[in-house]
Amino acid sequence: MNRSTFSWRGTPIPLREGESIAAALAEANILTFGHDGGGRELRYFCGIGACQSCLVKVEGHIVEACLTLASPGLDVRALDD
Amino acid sequence: MASLPALHECDVLVVGGGPAGVAAATELSARGLSVQLVEQGARLGGAIHRQPATPGTAPARLAVQPQWARLSRAVAVAKLSAHTGCVFLGVDSDGLSLVEDRRSGLVSAVRVSAVVVAVGAVERIRPRPGTELPGVTTAGGIQVMLKETGRAPQGRILVAGNGPLTIALAAQLARCGNPPLAVLEAGDPLRHLAAVLALMRHPRLVREALGYLRAMRASGTSWQRGTVLSAIARHGSDLVATTIDRAGGKKSLIVDRIALHDGIRPNSFGLPKAAGEIKGTPFVIHAGDCREALGAVSAEADGRRAARIVVARLRGNAGDVLRLEATIARERSAQHVLARLFAPRNTANDPGDWHDDALLCQCERKSVADLRALLGGGDQLSPREIKLNGRFCMGACQGRFCADAVAELIATERPGTPRPGIPDLTGQRWPLRPVSIASIIGDRLASTAQEEK
Repeated sequence: MNRSTFSWRGTPIPLREGESIAAALAEANILTFGHDGGGRELRYFCGIGACQSCLVKVEGHIVEACLTLASPGLDVRALDD
Repeated sequence: MASLPALHECDVLVVGGGPAGVAAATELSARGLSVQLVEQGARLGGAIHRQPATPGTAPARLAVQPQWARLSRAVAVAKLSAHTGCVFLGVDSDGLSLVEDRRSGLVSAVRVSAVVVAVGAVERIRPRPGTELPGVTTAGGIQVMLKETGRAPQGRILVAGNGPLTIALAAQLARCGNPPLAVLEAGDPLRHLAAVLALMRHPRLVREALGYLRAMRASGTSWQRGTVLSAIARHGSDLVATTIDRAGGKKSLIVDRIALHDGIRPNSFGLPKAAGEIKGTPFVIHAGDCREALGAVSAEADGRRAARIVVARLRGNAGDVLRLEATIARERSAQHVLARLFAPRNTANDPGDWHDDALLCQCERKSVADLRALLGGGDQLSPREIKLNGRFCMGACQGRFCADAVAELIATERPGTPRPGIPDLTGQRWPLRPVSIASIIGDRLASTAQEEK
């Protein structure tokens, strides 16, 4: 099994190949993904890209953490980073 | 990862890689049409067939597992062109189908003759204080992550709401080594004898249900029927759930994770209207749970049915759909029985009892109190005005998790007036998913450059 990591807000997080950013953060017991512009706490909720609560920033793009694969070396930030 | 050619013109665009979309795409391909399938996630499968990240680590044997094996084989045989990480945005005013590649942020605009939309279902979630807290998710959200990782969430889990998905999840969590403390169920299926007998006509469902209940009993998960979860609060790192039983008795449960589920409804928000007759726009048909939420067996039949209707439309020869419609009808009657079985008996979560500080619109942080104030303001606001003035259904989820509850509360506060339609509340224009302005503009610049060459 790959022992690689991606970066969440500057902190290395272990990832398993093929799993989403949301799954990796859940495994690392990270439940809060920062806040959006309206002050809402972002986090994993529906898992199917519908609720838009798990938004994170990957290389400048805002994406759903539940739909986006974690990959080695990926730089992932919260929206308010 | 091999990169696929960019989206190009073809006969049919199929949106969604679950059982309906894959069945439609393989059927269309087998009948000689050129097909491209777009899927928002990293892999095909949809929600019910969410694939494990590591092949072979599927945590729970699904009753419909053979379906995915069959559909995957059909995909391989058809050499289907599937664009993952791509989100369908809708059909624009020029009749072009817009798809955003989430990895690159680029939007493609393609001309196709037909679009099959198979974007599945979303869960209903009633407004409760604390639904917005981290650690609170939908039951389906836990299910897909469990299927993807083979692992249950850590800590003490509570599953709450209404409907058979809650007991399926409880059994799956048990099989992954972390059974929930309890499943709170607003209905009382065991008391509804007539519906239990009716369920006997659907042996597959009976076997499934008994299997789930056995797993729950073996792992000590209590099934608290006639009980609702009325509020969630955060105390330090714990979540405190307030429950109300049929006698009105209140209890508190201290947990780490709460999975909510109050039913399933089609993800029909913002979809381009089916069967467009306007010249220059594609023929649109909806298939699977997004047309009618009847589950995976119906979805596959509905996908094939949609494909045959498209073939008839584009090639003129009628495909037989009677047997497919019989399958769909049988699944519909099964869902009706389940709905009767699980009809809520505890009404403590009806609109009249919704807490003022429960959020109705999580995206814009608008509460039940905010809507009550807006409705009590004297003017008879239209659904559109309620949206524009109150910001309900105006957020990033585009009404997927609030529109039903908003409509319900409006109907409760205005007895005697017809319930507002969901499209009146949410609007009906593309994009049907949020897309950045940069992505849209990027495409226009790219296509302008192409024309100038």
